[in-house]
Amino acid sequence: MRYLFRVLAALVIFVYGSSVIKAQEAPAYAITNVTIHHSDGSESKSSSIVWRDGVIEAVGKRVTIPFDAFTIDGGDSLHLYPGLIDGLATWGSPAPPKEYKSLPEPGNPPYDRAGVQPERKPSELLESDDKEFEAAMKAGFTTAVLGVEGNMLPGQVETFFISPEETKMGLYGEVLGLEGSFETAPGGWSSGAYPSTLMGVMAKFRQTMYEARALQTHIQYHSTNPEMPAPNRSEVLEALFPLLNNTKPIYFKVDSKENIDLLLKLQDEFGFDAVIVSGKEAYARADVLKKRGIPVLASIDIDDAPKWYTDQKKKKKDDDAKEEEITDEEKQYREKQLEAWKAEVTNIKSMMESGIQVGYSSHGLALKDYSKKLEVIMDEGELKEEDLLEIMTINTAKIIGLDRVFGSLEKGKNASFTLVNKPIYEKKATVLKSVSNGTIYEF
Amino acid sequence: MNFNTGSRMKKILTLFVLMVAVTGVKAQETGSVLIQNATVITITGEDLENTDVLIRDGKITEIGQNLSAPRRVTKVDATGKFVMPGIIDAHSHLNTVSTNESRNPVTAEVTMEESVNPNSVSIYRAIAGGVTSIHLMHGSANVIGGQNETLKLRYGANVDGMRFEGAPRTIKFALGENPTRVHGQGNGVQPRTRMGVEQVIRGHFDAALNYKRNREEYLAAKAKWDSDKKGTPPVPVAQNLRFDVLNDIIEGNVWVHCHSYRADEILMLMRVFNDYGIKNYTFQHANEAFKVAPELAKNGARTSVFSDWWAYKFEVYYSTAYNASILNANGVVNSINSDDSELIRHLNHEAAKTVRYGNTSVHDALKMITINPAIQIGVDDRVGSIEVGKDGDVVIWSGHPLSIYSKVEQTYIDGKKYFDLSEDPADMRISIDPNDDFESAANFEVYHSGRQNDACLEGAFILNTETIQQ
Repeated sequence: MRYLFRVLAALVIFVYGSSVIKAQEAPAYAITNVTIHHSDGSESKSSSIVWRDGVIEAVGKRVTIPFDAFTIDGGDSLHLYPGLIDGLATWGSPAPPKEYKSLPEPGNPPYDRAGVQPERKPSELLESDDKEFEAAMKAGFTTAVLGVEGNMLPGQVETFFISPEETKMGLYGEVLGLEGSFETAPGGWSSGAYPSTLMGVMAKFRQTMYEARALQTHIQYHSTNPEMPAPNRSEVLEALFPLLNNTKPIYFKVDSKENIDLLLKLQDEFGFDAVIVSGKEAYARADVLKKRGIPVLASIDIDDAPKWYTDQKKKKKDDDAKEEEITDEEKQYREKQLEAWKAEVTNIKSMMESGIQVGYSSHGLALKDYSKKLEVIMDEGELKEEDLLEIMTINTAKIIGLDRVFGSLEKGKNASFTLVNKPIYEKKATVLKSVSNGTIYEF
Repeated sequence: MNFNTGSRMKKILTLFVLMVAVTGVKAQETGSVLIQNATVITITGEDLENTDVLIRDGKITEIGQNLSAPRRVTKVDATGKFVMPGIIDAHSHLNTVSTNESRNPVTAEVTMEESVNPNSVSIYRAIAGGVTSIHLMHGSANVIGGQNETLKLRYGANVDGMRFEGAPRTIKFALGENPTRVHGQGNGVQPRTRMGVEQVIRGHFDAALNYKRNREEYLAAKAKWDSDKKGTPPVPVAQNLRFDVLNDIIEGNVWVHCHSYRADEILMLMRVFNDYGIKNYTFQHANEAFKVAPELAKNGARTSVFSDWWAYKFEVYYSTAYNASILNANGVVNSINSDDSELIRHLNHEAAKTVRYGNTSVHDALKMITINPAIQIGVDDRVGSIEVGKDGDVVIWSGHPLSIYSKVEQTYIDGKKYFDLSEDPADMRISIDPNDDFESAANFEVYHSGRQNDACLEGAFILNTETIQQ
């Protein structure tokens, strides 16, 4: 009994003591009197948020602000959002070479020239002075999965707390998976290599996986049987082991429904988990994607509306404009054209209605075009603000498997959020302050 | 009309790369129809006058006079018209995503199955010419090119829905100038000469056989070691897709269709194939095949030729419009192909030329665009003739199919109507690029001919290997 008491006492002192030490080391921060928008679309006026050490301590209307907190008063006119998450961006990626030397044997290129570079990691290659990071934060993003620009297997993907300051970019957690696409080998006509076609990429993907499988077996055999010939280690093939063993998914950039079918074919052959990135025609394969539980990190990089359609919409506002005279043939064409465009622009909406898990990826979309594309998606794509918010926060967090850390404003989650002068998807909304992993940035 | 190259290229890209979705017809949709009172050209038997053909759920179930239509089966009066099996094109690149994986002299591992554009309007145009099946081939840039894919032209279906289910696997080989130009001259790798072409084939077959032995030994040793863990485990031999396919060729599971022109190279390949025990192959183009017709017949080799097209490059200066007739008279199973998205629309005329030039019988001429190509791609048990039990792939012609005045009136595939001249809208595209305005989109009629493209890109032949098809 006496012994037990001692143990308990020690425990109490330890727990209490450590929390005191912690409080002394890391100051608290608070933003008070703001409208808090939650990832599920709900909002709470005159609310506050408190965080410490990069973790949210409290959020809501009746929150006690710690005595030591550095406090920002929102004055009841500002809006606070969970930090938006980009499910796959290429910000900070080194640009691919501008020129490639022609190869002595284009049919048998080294891995990098075939576009097979799964060993590359953003954390090792990141150019953190990329101006896109600041632009991303000004658009409300605080967290991003980053990949490296390249071809069929360009590298691995990792999660980052983004920052406009080079030195403050932070890597979060482990490698999430590999990146993939149906991009052919780089180099163009004069110095290209195998694979130079879609069918070639399919074959090269398979062959590379076969070689990785053989190497993995060799390494396993050799580890217990050192008397056998040693394997030729390859960081390229070894980077594919997680895919081979289905311990990590592939983030595969694919748009057309025909190419989605090809990705599914590879999935059948190798049994990996896949996340579709971009997926502009994914609505047309909604059933099978839902059945297989394949989520889509959707692109909003849709084509511009047909010019006549934009003109017509403008003219509607101007009553004096005359009706344009066109032939029946052109009229029929316009109907088809609009139907094709509408299918593209309502992709996200139809996927959500089909029950597919939809997140967001900018992959390839420059941030200067971001708000223009958003406007079109909202006007024509039948998406409401709360849909977009859900997609860009908690849905994306779930898809990347990090919803316990990111994606909503709750106690215990990572302190990444954005303070905006008006609702974030409204025109001319300006991000005033951004908090990424607890650090405040002002714009 | 805007004919500038930039806009045309954009259009080609639009059609072939941006496949914007509209429809998705279920795979293998079948139909039923009773075609009444036609002259039925059965191909494998006599022509039958005043005859009805009944197709139920995709299959021909009855051929005879005064058949009664089962309930809910549409009747089509074909009095005065001709019914023929759908035309089969044994050499086409009609709706490829890309045609040549031209970066290596041997690419047996790639397959056109993964290079099909199901949305190309050229499919509809071919159906309007009475074609129901095609052999979608890899191009001729490589000595051993990719595997081909046999398709039924079910316009509106997805890639899986277009596939000719159960058709044997086939592969493209190419001899002569194309592979030596692309690889020897273009990249400085073997083959530079026709001698090199032969050695590329032999070398790869030998390597494939060697791989097979090693791989099988490894798999056996691995199975043993994994179960008893005795001794030293084997060093893994990775699966090799390219060699797997080459072994499938040697074992007869993949049939060769070889792009060729000259008699000497045709003989060369037959010698190589005899050495490796390869049977069941077809020479494509084979403009000098008439010179070695008895040798072809003796080896059971088949040919698929143009009716009267040659002199488009040096190795094909020597040819004759009698080629098909001579081969046919020597007992070689010969077909007439298009290799072209425009010519495919009137293969009946091409077949008719063998009657005009070489006095081939009308019956044999028609076999060259129906049952003979079906034999060459291994689907003659399903299509190529009008017989009970075969697929309902038939075409109603306004007159005799070899007449220049005849038109295709209706085309059926699996008993389902895919073309009807009386309901034939101008714009049958199922996929358009929303960025294409009407001005440029309206010109989609002008770039359907592969030959036209070749003529335009003559100077870029080596660089632009996408165009090396003939």
